[in-house]
Amino acid sequence: MASISIRNLNKTYPDGVEVIDGLNLEIKDKEFIVLVGPSGCGKSTTLRMIAGLEDITGGELAIGDRVVNDVQPKDRDIAMVFQNYALYPHMTVYKNMAFGLELKKVPKDEIDQKIKEAAKVLDLEKYLNRKPKALSGGQRQRVALGRAMVRNPAVFLLDEPLSNLDAKLRTQMRTEISKLHRKLQTTFVYVTHDQTEAMTMGDRIVVLKDGKIQQVDTPENLYNKPANIFVAGFIGSPQMNFINSKVTQEGSKYFIKIDGCTLEIPAGKNKNDILSKYAGKEVVVGIRPEDFHLDQAFIEMAPKSLIDVKIDLTEMMGAEVYCYGKIDDEAIIFRAPSRFRPKEQEEIVVAIDVNKIHLFDKETTESIII
Amino acid sequence: MLKKSQLARTAKKTNRTITFWLLVGSLSVFFPLYMTIMIAFKDPSQMSNSIAGILAFPKSWSFDNFQQAMAITDFWHTLSNSILITGATMIVAVIFHSLIGYAIGRSMQKRGYRLLYLYIISGMFVPFAIIMMPIVKQTAMLGIDNRFGVVLLYSIFYLPMNLMLYTGYLKNIPLSLEEAAAIDGASTFKTFWSVIFPLMKPMHATVAVLTALGTWNDVMLPLVLLSGTGQNTLPIAQLNFQSQFGTNYNLAFASYLLALIPMLIIYIIGQKQIIKGVVNGAIK
Repeated sequence: MASISIRNLNKTYPDGVEVIDGLNLEIKDKEFIVLVGPSGCGKSTTLRMIAGLEDITGGELAIGDRVVNDVQPKDRDIAMVFQNYALYPHMTVYKNMAFGLELKKVPKDEIDQKIKEAAKVLDLEKYLNRKPKALSGGQRQRVALGRAMVRNPAVFLLDEPLSNLDAKLRTQMRTEISKLHRKLQTTFVYVTHDQTEAMTMGDRIVVLKDGKIQQVDTPENLYNKPANIFVAGFIGSPQMNFINSKVTQEGSKYFIKIDGCTLEIPAGKNKNDILSKYAGKEVVVGIRPEDFHLDQAFIEMAPKSLIDVKIDLTEMMGAEVYCYGKIDDEAIIFRAPSRFRPKEQEEIVVAIDVNKIHLFDKETTESIII
Repeated sequence: MLKKSQLARTAKKTNRTITFWLLVGSLSVFFPLYMTIMIAFKDPSQMSNSIAGILAFPKSWSFDNFQQAMAITDFWHTLSNSILITGATMIVAVIFHSLIGYAIGRSMQKRGYRLLYLYIISGMFVPFAIIMMPIVKQTAMLGIDNRFGVVLLYSIFYLPMNLMLYTGYLKNIPLSLEEAAAIDGASTFKTFWSVIFPLMKPMHATVAVLTALGTWNDVMLPLVLLSGTGQNTLPIAQLNFQSQFGTNYNLAFASYLLALIPMLIIYIIGQKQIIKGVVNGAIK
């Protein structure tokens, strides 16, 4: 059991490319933390530095109370699950799991007991004498998890472990890994580019971009209170709509204008009168696809927040419909109940839930109100 | 179901050009082999100057030529020498060349290793004739003009080719396996020995077959290092069939056939491994 402290971590490759720039992160003991971001954002590099597979250029990395910058991977008390499983192809499932323990000179009967226990948890008992090539993708991933489990590590590191599996198996393994975390009560650091995995599994999520942390928070907060345009756009599917607008002031009230429609920003959202700095300035308005409403009751209740949308395309998803349209020549997408299917090129009226809108600074991209 | 006429049409779809060249190719292999077998089993008196006489079946199949050839070449002694030298070279090649291949192949991002790789590979361009005389002198000086010296020199001569084969094959083995081993607590050597070495099996087979063929058939190196030491290899002993006045083809060919057998066995075993390896490699 261990916490991880990352202080001012840097990684620069010999050719001068800087992948991680001054990363600070405190991971609590027994926490399930997910590093998420687009490819090339440095999430895998960070994980590999925690594992000791990548040298640390600058800063400090501590597992528990021990600084491990120069400690060999085997002495860090960690276990890692790789994207391509990295099972030894010439060894049986049993040997794959036993390899690390044999190197640690663990007595044979103890190894046997640990492997049998892990195999039971992961439902691998039948496959112990098979070689990896005779297993399916999901089974291989479970063997990789088992190999990590038997070592009883303080920290579990998982590098995109589900990205080689098909969609159905991925959902299944997602819940299995979450269950495993609850059962093992160990710190998990999980890297993925898939925001669904991040949202469903993590206690906290670290959103990375270009080697810098954008936001560290719970899935709920990340969704409801994104720190900047990047996080707002990255988390959530379909992604948040961004519309350029201008803030206007009338007395103590503030408004934004979208396509000839003037929306009043609820006073409760203007904390510390932050909007006074933005009066007359350009901002970016962020609206989640589910914050457009089509039902008559909502439209009647909010006559001041109605807007015309020209529908380009609809996508039937089963429970709901994704509607693609244009407001003021800016492409938007919103969710609608499946009974509602507008025709293409039809102009419809939607109501925006102004209590849920986000405003971002156009220059710094930081969130102004959430 | 296909009708008979359709079947006939499918059967006709043979590539005539390729078939023709395959026939030419196999003839060029089988004809000399056929000739060797015929001559080896024939009494010298049955040899005539006409081609037909040479190619004809022997009147009676006899193993006399083989017995005589074995006596002249001191067969069991020279065979054991050949086996010892070839076997030792093969083992050295598979163990040490794969180790060197691993060390260099996984460090190619470093300039020093790249240069070392090119330096060793450039050894392939040095003809043996150029270095023959200095080698004779040097081995004599060092006192290794014996079987040990021959094995040592073969191990060096085959290093360039084997290094190239091993480093090339290493690219098929994902780096994450070594990283997994590092996290499991394996040292670099343990990683090589327990993870990389077994995975290189198909390449071991290729290296073993190529190295064995080369050393088994080689005449020059044992000739300049071993003649007069009483440690002759089979190809040197076979030079006895050639004299100033002619060659005893019947005995020579019988002896060649005998020398062929061990190589055939190695090749058959090796080939099985190669096919197995290719199939294994295809399923990731």
